[in-house]
Amino acid sequence: MKKIRITIIFIAALCSFLITNAQERTILRGRVIDKGDKTTIIGANIVEYDSDDRVVNGTITNVNGDFVLQMSNPANTVRVSVIGYKAQEIPVDPSKTIMIELETSDVALGEVTVTAEARSVNTLTNIDDRDKASSSVKVDLMDMQDIGVLSAADALQGKVSGLDIIAASGDPGSGSQLVIRGLSSMGNSQPLIVIDGVPQFRISSSFDLSSADTEDISNLINIALQDIKSIEVLKDAASTAVYGSQGADGVLLIETHKGRMGKVQFDYQYKNSLNFQPPAIPMLNGDEYIMLQLEAWHNARGVFTIPQEIAYNRDYVDFHNYSQNTDWIKEITQNAMTHDHYFSIGGGGEKTRYFTSFSYVDEGGTTINTSSQRFSTRVNLDYFLSRNLLFQVKFNYNSNAIERNLSIQGNHWRPRNVREMAYIKSPNMSIWEYDAYGNLTGEYFTPINSYQGDGVTFFNPVAVAKLGMNDRMMNSLENTFLLQYRFNDWLLFRETISFQYQGEKSKNYLPYNAIGADWLAWNVNKAEESNNLNQSIRTESQIAFNSPFANQDHQLTGAFTWITEQSGYEWMNIQSNRTPSTDIKDPAIDAQINWIGTGSGESRMLSGLSNVNYKYLDRYMIQTILRADAHSSFGSNNRWGLFKGLALGWRFSSESFLNSLDWLGESMLRASWGVAGRQPGDVYARFATYESTGTGSYMLNPAIAPTSIQLNNLKWENITSYNAGIQLSLFNDRVYIESDVYQKITTDILFGGTQPSDYYLIPTTSGYDGLKYLNGGKMTNVGWELMLDGRAVRTKDWLVSFNFNTSQNINTFNELPENFNPERSTSIGNGQYPLRVQEGEPIGSFFGFRYLGVWASDEDVVARDVDGNILRDSQGRPIPLRYTDSYTFKGGDPIYEDINHDGKIDLNDVVYIGDSNPDFIGGFGANLRYKNFDFSAAFHYRIGFDIINGVALQTEGMNNRNNQSKAVLSRWRVQGQNEPGLLPKAYMNHPANNLGSDRYVEKGDYVRLNNIKFGYQLSQEMCNRLGVRKANFTVSARKLFTFTNYSGQDPEVGQDASNPFWIGVDNANTPPPKIVTFSIAVGF
Amino acid sequence: MRTKAKYFLISLIVLMQVSCSDWLDLQPPGGLVRDEFWKTKEDVEAVVMAAYESFASLDRTLFVFGEVRADLVEGDFNQPWNEQLLMENNIYPDNSISSWANFYKVINYCNEVIKNAPVVREIDNTLTDFQMYSLMSEAYFLRSLSYFYLVRLYRDVPLILEPSESDDTDFYKPKSTESEVLNQIVTDLETNRVYAPSGGFPTIAENKGRASKAAYDALLADIELWRFNYERVLSHIRNIEQNIEIVMMPSARWFEMFYPGNSLESIFEFQFDGNRNQNNGTYGLTQRFSYQYDPSQKALEMFAFEFASELVRGEDASIKKYGDDDYIIWKYVGMAPDGQTTRTGAEQFSANWIVYRLADVMLMKAEALSQLERYSEALFILNDIRERANVPAVGLANTRVAFEDAILNERALELAYEGKRWFDLLRMGRRDNFARKDKLIEVIVSNVPSTQKRILAAKLTNPLGWYLPIYDTEIERNKNLVQNPYYDF
Repeated sequence: MKKIRITIIFIAALCSFLITNAQERTILRGRVIDKGDKTTIIGANIVEYDSDDRVVNGTITNVNGDFVLQMSNPANTVRVSVIGYKAQEIPVDPSKTIMIELETSDVALGEVTVTAEARSVNTLTNIDDRDKASSSVKVDLMDMQDIGVLSAADALQGKVSGLDIIAASGDPGSGSQLVIRGLSSMGNSQPLIVIDGVPQFRISSSFDLSSADTEDISNLINIALQDIKSIEVLKDAASTAVYGSQGADGVLLIETHKGRMGKVQFDYQYKNSLNFQPPAIPMLNGDEYIMLQLEAWHNARGVFTIPQEIAYNRDYVDFHNYSQNTDWIKEITQNAMTHDHYFSIGGGGEKTRYFTSFSYVDEGGTTINTSSQRFSTRVNLDYFLSRNLLFQVKFNYNSNAIERNLSIQGNHWRPRNVREMAYIKSPNMSIWEYDAYGNLTGEYFTPINSYQGDGVTFFNPVAVAKLGMNDRMMNSLENTFLLQYRFNDWLLFRETISFQYQGEKSKNYLPYNAIGADWLAWNVNKAEESNNLNQSIRTESQIAFNSPFANQDHQLTGAFTWITEQSGYEWMNIQSNRTPSTDIKDPAIDAQINWIGTGSGESRMLSGLSNVNYKYLDRYMIQTILRADAHSSFGSNNRWGLFKGLALGWRFSSESFLNSLDWLGESMLRASWGVAGRQPGDVYARFATYESTGTGSYMLNPAIAPTSIQLNNLKWENITSYNAGIQLSLFNDRVYIESDVYQKITTDILFGGTQPSDYYLIPTTSGYDGLKYLNGGKMTNVGWELMLDGRAVRTKDWLVSFNFNTSQNINTFNELPENFNPERSTSIGNGQYPLRVQEGEPIGSFFGFRYLGVWASDEDVVARDVDGNILRDSQGRPIPLRYTDSYTFKGGDPIYEDINHDGKIDLNDVVYIGDSNPDFIGGFGANLRYKNFDFSAAFHYRIGFDIINGVALQTEGMNNRNNQSKAVLSRWRVQGQNEPGLLPKAYMNHPANNLGSDRYVEKGDYVRLNNIKFGYQLSQEMCNRLGVRKANFTVSARKLFTFTNYSGQDPEVGQDASNPFWIGVDNANTPPPKIVTFSIAVGF
Repeated sequence: MRTKAKYFLISLIVLMQVSCSDWLDLQPPGGLVRDEFWKTKEDVEAVVMAAYESFASLDRTLFVFGEVRADLVEGDFNQPWNEQLLMENNIYPDNSISSWANFYKVINYCNEVIKNAPVVREIDNTLTDFQMYSLMSEAYFLRSLSYFYLVRLYRDVPLILEPSESDDTDFYKPKSTESEVLNQIVTDLETNRVYAPSGGFPTIAENKGRASKAAYDALLADIELWRFNYERVLSHIRNIEQNIEIVMMPSARWFEMFYPGNSLESIFEFQFDGNRNQNNGTYGLTQRFSYQYDPSQKALEMFAFEFASELVRGEDASIKKYGDDDYIIWKYVGMAPDGQTTRTGAEQFSANWIVYRLADVMLMKAEALSQLERYSEALFILNDIRERANVPAVGLANTRVAFEDAILNERALELAYEGKRWFDLLRMGRRDNFARKDKLIEVIVSNVPSTQKRILAAKLTNPLGWYLPIYDTEIERNKNLVQNPYYDF
């Protein structure tokens, strides 16, 4: 035991040699004895501390209680300590042998915490954390590990100012959207994830298109949360420039646990969570639905023949099938359990340290038939081959099986998921089929045609969830080897090689009995399987140096790094249909093959990086970064991209004129400038390719045609950022404030994308629809951030702390490329919003009509000119307002504002109606600890953003056969009816009663109690008695309360930034569940 | 020594990573890149074929544009909405039917060939000058045909003669006037006619399916007729008449022009072969259960037994009766003029799209002659066509109007559903400064429900409304384009 402690200190001393200086040595000799019985104490620690209280050197007493300590600096202090005795500081007097008498102490010495790592080895820079003058935030995740969060993104939500995290959906295994300091490019901005210094895969562009969706792209961090020691968020370009072309959207540096010196430690944690959904939007029941439908038909047609399905006709064969009150939402919703087991072993000796962990998470989804099982394991090994040579191996394996529901596209313009269908499915229909006598047949009720439409477009959501299959299996493997050789005190060389491999398989299957389609229809008994493989090899050679000067006033550190990276992908997809049985789900059987596709690609990058930092008097800092990247996506003319950063820091608290201010702790002012970049997602975009045409021939002659335009002008997207910040530590570290202002300018924005629908559109007279990419335009993000930490009470028993952070970001499109078509879609009509970007407005703006209420009666419908006078025709009769040329508004129709006063509602009346970018984001929380109990609460908020309530859009329109929400019960019914908040009338196939308008644009603002936790730690005594090292019990809850006026199920759903024209639309994804977790953690 | 070895090892590792920029030159694994293309004569020919194939895939479009606004078809309940609006002449720039993208796709392929064939000639010695010019002449032909359709549909269109090879190309071209475009294509055709292949291919399909000299002549005649240069029409047609391989089919074999196709009468037709997945669009458009386009009332009056005396071209040939009010177009569906044998299997997708055939050209000649007041020669041709169709000869007053009407009518009978009718009407309407505008309106209006007649007649009085608008997304993409006048509100 003692020996181990000794070695800890020895290694601590070793680690600290970074800061050693070459001054003359002093030899200290002495003997340690017990004050009481004067016996010698064997194995006492004699440790030398420098002025910053850091361990410099140390030794132990021998069997005679004697020691010899070679001191690095006679000005340092020396302390003697050993278990069972009170520690003592001893005078530094090399002239004689010192006799030290130690007093016995009653309390056993607690843990020895050794903080020796002064530099963050995982970054490519060589700067002390405390000296960093660029903007970054490090978050310790230790206290998040007992809570029911499963991913790092969840844990970070609301913790870091300027980092906006939104869950992609509440389904298991779906990830999150992470945006640092606002969207800075078109397409999907996702920060680069760096785990222990190794940048992780970006989902490659030419991924199998049929299975990739937003959730895949956002699911970036997929390692066990308990493995994560800390996450550092790099925010400004001065720090992200280190990652050059990959750092454009910010960087998350994740550090995992490493083996610690000492006895083997086993840790086991089990978390059990109950997941349940926030209350759903109440929907009409079967009877209300039928009444609404009858009214809609009547309003539209007058007298009409009532369809059998809604006629309550007992003689109708399907009477029982159409006379139910089914709550579809309830039927597809469930409460689910999540089990999370985590086991780790860590330890090590002088030569070797190791850390191994195993994690198994079985997560149940709140939508039926969704779940995720994740197994991950990690091995971190450090071998100290000699004093100067370190060999490190990291191994990480991950396997994730996700079960999801299918989305099905019938005649609707896009596929609808199960939840979306549950909202609109007619509630008078039965889940299970009845025969004509009212007996259940045991089959799902999936008619080929129902009142609502064909059985594919309006499928039975329960049947599709239960019978359909949409599984995904991901395996990833990562190996990193590091060899570090130290030449001398100030120079070291590192070589890192890392291999990453990722395989993904997805399988879809839809049997015919899940859906209302004929056995032989192309879309049933359809099996699809796809495989994606990704691999990359990365090497990094680094020479790092530390101040070679004897004079401590000047400190020069830095590193030169050479990086090569190559990655490749392959994909394969088979789809076949008409499998002979509903149980044959493999596309490889001899059914009808619909499609087989394969593809592959490769990209390579070379980079040189130089990082030089200078510090004078520990107060003035200048840090420079210069990185040059060459990427294979570019032609030789634009291949090299130069990324740079400059950061200045001033630790003003160390200035002598501020010495008198006792309340001022270590504080710093800093300013930085940097340029980072981004390369196109499609690595082959620059080539004009010639491919076989559709049929590949004309008559008997082969036909080959050009399929894309060569891009001679493709270049890096540039992100320049300016940052100024202050770090203040006040009142003896009780208050810590960090604040930043920044401006981030994106130029040469990469417009375009990997799929034809994303291309930069050019006139079709070119023979093409678009360019894969075009650089142009300018976008700015300006904002500020504030973080506040307060440790109000710090006593032995009590610890009370608060934290608060907020940030504001304002995004503007300053310039669009010349000839840019700002209209993505000019469609207006029910449920449609025109899609545009506009110079001066932020990315993610909404455009549509202004909704002003409901026309009370037919006579009220008039068009007015600019002055508000009623427009009249030649006979003096008032002209009613019309919708384009096709419809004249009547009583009960919605009022849209006629912006240009031409008596006609059309595309010209479309205005800016909202913005999906939040004004303020952030979080706040408190921690409280009393003895062995602790309590914490963390809130997350997003304020000042709009959501298009896509669910309301579908369920309050009353112009089709979709089920509607209870809100429509207060609808216009008779002429003259005029009440506040009245919805328009029900009217079947109305051309304009549900136009894309601000009627569905809602404030999404929310404040949410993200986490609340009560914990109890078993006292040391109890632990000793039970023979365990430690034991924790925690009860926590996630997302328990949400304060919002948003009328949808949850304001955090559907913030999908992958389509910059259509951000912030609530499409009825599963909302993030409320989770109650019980956790037990035991260490041996 | 050990240290030295270590230094050596380290420098080796560093050196291994430094390599030439070749390492960064990665090419896509699928498909050829431009730098590697345009190396052999096969490359040139393959792109020429892509242009044919791509034009051929427009057959449904050519049918729609040639027939829908005219009076020989009516829409059934599966008629796409945008085509229904076209039929009602209720066209707005947001109607996707007004997209010209596919025509310009063909033009771009042709431009690629015209630009790069001479480059290949420098590299590939097996490509002779003769072959090169011959392949280029096919590209010129297809490009001209494309532009000819475009000017007849839109009047003024951007004239693009260079391929869009890279993003350095100026994509934002303004419109050229109709006459500029026509002058360009007539010059191209006249210059390159000499290189056009003249029937030397091993198969009949290739001789009919690729631009021959006769195809050149027919297209030139058609363009000159559109420009009302009647003497030049006659001189181009004279070249065809001298071609002994192109002769009129006898009455009994009239239907062979459509099945199996590539008849002696054919001059140029886009080839389809269902067995090779080269599928036409016309069968799917006109077969009985597609319910998209059926013969109009006017067509029934012309063809059906009860009303007309057309035996060769009538029922069971141009159209087929299944029952009362249940008629379909038979030219692309039938395999014989018996009203019984329908195309089956791959044959369903193998009906060629005839661009020019001799009867068409001869009627063009008659039109030109009558406009030059050479009435007797014109009447002779007209009656020749009628005789072949086993219908009695006609006698006509020696006026242009009488001949114009008779020829127009004869063209409707002979060339029904071959994508000619609308352009014939348009040509008549434009002639002599819209002198017979009213006749055009009368013909078109006769084919719409009585409720729409007045609105449609009013709409058509402005000849600018006879052309299509430029598709609105195209206007949005190209700020140098100005919307066609009629639609510019």
